[in-house]
Amino acid sequence: MNSSELTNTKNIIIRLIYVCLRFIKYKPLGGTFGIILFLIFFIAIFADFIAPHDPLTTNPLMVREPPDSKYWFGYDEVGRDVLSRVIHGARISLLVGLSSVLLGTTFGGLWGLASGYLGGWFDLLSQRAAEIWMSFPSLVLAMSLLVAMGSGVETVIVAVAFTRVPTTVRVVRSVSIAVREFMFVDAAVAIGASKTRIMMRHVLPNCVAAFIIMFTAHVGTAIIIEASLAFLGIGVPPPTPTWGAMLGKATSAAINPQWWRVLYPGVAIVLVVLSFNLFGDAIRDVLDPRLRGSQDVG
Amino acid sequence: MFNYIVRRLLWTIPTIIAITMLIFVILRIIPGNIIVAMFGGGGGGGEGIQKVDPAVIEKIRSDLKLDRPLYEQYYYWVSGLARGDMGESFFRGQKVSTLIKNHGPVTLEIALISIVVSWLVGVPIGILSAIKQDSWADYLGRFFVVLFVAVPAFWFAGLIVLGLIVAFQWYPPLYYEHIWVDPVANIQKVFAPVIVIGVGMGAMIARMTRSSILEVMREDYVRTARAKGVGPKLVMWRHVLKNAMLPVLTIAGLSLAFSLGGSVAVEYAFSINGLGMVMITALMDKDFATVQNLVLIYSLVFVLINLLTDLSYALLDPRIRYD
Repeated sequence: MNSSELTNTKNIIIRLIYVCLRFIKYKPLGGTFGIILFLIFFIAIFADFIAPHDPLTTNPLMVREPPDSKYWFGYDEVGRDVLSRVIHGARISLLVGLSSVLLGTTFGGLWGLASGYLGGWFDLLSQRAAEIWMSFPSLVLAMSLLVAMGSGVETVIVAVAFTRVPTTVRVVRSVSIAVREFMFVDAAVAIGASKTRIMMRHVLPNCVAAFIIMFTAHVGTAIIIEASLAFLGIGVPPPTPTWGAMLGKATSAAINPQWWRVLYPGVAIVLVVLSFNLFGDAIRDVLDPRLRGSQDVG
Repeated sequence: MFNYIVRRLLWTIPTIIAITMLIFVILRIIPGNIIVAMFGGGGGGGEGIQKVDPAVIEKIRSDLKLDRPLYEQYYYWVSGLARGDMGESFFRGQKVSTLIKNHGPVTLEIALISIVVSWLVGVPIGILSAIKQDSWADYLGRFFVVLFVAVPAFWFAGLIVLGLIVAFQWYPPLYYEHIWVDPVANIQKVFAPVIVIGVGMGAMIARMTRSSILEVMREDYVRTARAKGVGPKLVMWRHVLKNAMLPVLTIAGLSLAFSLGGSVAVEYAFSINGLGMVMITALMDKDFATVQNLVLIYSLVFVLINLLTDLSYALLDPRIRYD
């Protein structure tokens, strides 16, 4: 790397920091939750070093014991450390939340893009398909898919991704239709560009804002669906720690539930979902002020 | 308006047909032998843990008509539906229609009361939040919305159960009683899930009410009304709220459909023996006859809600009414 490249990277980093600081300044709430989100990612990635105990080691002597000075969040039904399991649980939530939404919104986004740009019978069919797709309650759809495919991290991701497609198709389609009317698209048609090229080089870049907005809006819902599946016992199979499964185990002992096993995993879910939603709202305001307050994805 | 309603009603027919096809396809993508999966194959289509006599497997296969080609199986299901016959649950040995008749009322009761609660919670908060924009009431309302959109219904349910047990040593009754048989026991069983689902939906309704009102308040006809001297209260009721409620109606329909799915987890959390519980058990057992019909029921309710929302638009929205 020569010196000019070095200053270049330095400039990019400085610019990046500047953009982040400006974001925090103008969107203090969203910025704060963005930082919290960053910390949660950090904890999830370095869970092995941060967690005080092994999340899988059982201790039959301490089954369902309340929190003490060494085990701050208490013990679960086989004497595992709840704090370490909450820390490790962040991995599955973030992994499933992000990758399922990436998969679902990318697929739905490209579909919506084509549907809006091409129009005609393809558009008509796509819209009807999306409408029918939406007539399945998300959780019910994901549950049926999971049972058909069998449980595992990959199948949970696919099942949740499946539920995220139709709303994205609709939103990106509406943007795509608007972009189609711009002069630069006519210009591209006039110089003989192919439909694929126009979609990829001219329409797609203008749909990126809508795509990012859909992405951030969906992650919270996806995480809640993942947690619900795990809660019902059909999510990522044990012994992998997931917040939903921890809650499922804690509340199924309903005769005498332990508060530390119900409280902490739930707080973790709420914190992550809240962070994604508020950070996403702030990003949406910055990217597209027209959409302010109109975020609603089931 | 007449044309619109007819078109809308006709459109539900292909929708329902497509839904049955989709359900059928989803539940048939399971790889390998369904019977093996039913008896502990782990769903992935691997070898069954338990050994089953091949002759018995063949018998069950032909009983369930699984040895027929797919289109024939689909025909059996749909023609059965047309005759009002949903088939039989394999493991419970009961008719699926009986299951629905026995377990449906709780789910329906909870859903209906939750709608009322969600409007009672959501609309006033939304209106207050919009009228007193940027006041402490608004901030409180927005905090409520942001929080309860992020709280998973089943966890809220768990907290309520925990709170009641820890604080009052109070356990909800074990069995559901029809409201006309034993109203007190019925309310005791139903009030907590109603709060959980109602408040969750209420948060979405409040958010939509607020943003919708704020949008309408910026409209020209509101300014015109003010300019010609209409009092603020009358402007609010006549001009703003009337128009702002249309999008709220849509979101109410959507949120109801959303919590319909979530109610499965809520029923599980409160151990309420409703349709959701039956569906979870059937899914675990890979009892496909039951699952496909229950998924269909849930989807049909969704279709019905969408239909009602659109039809109420036809009545309320002059742009469609005079079309």
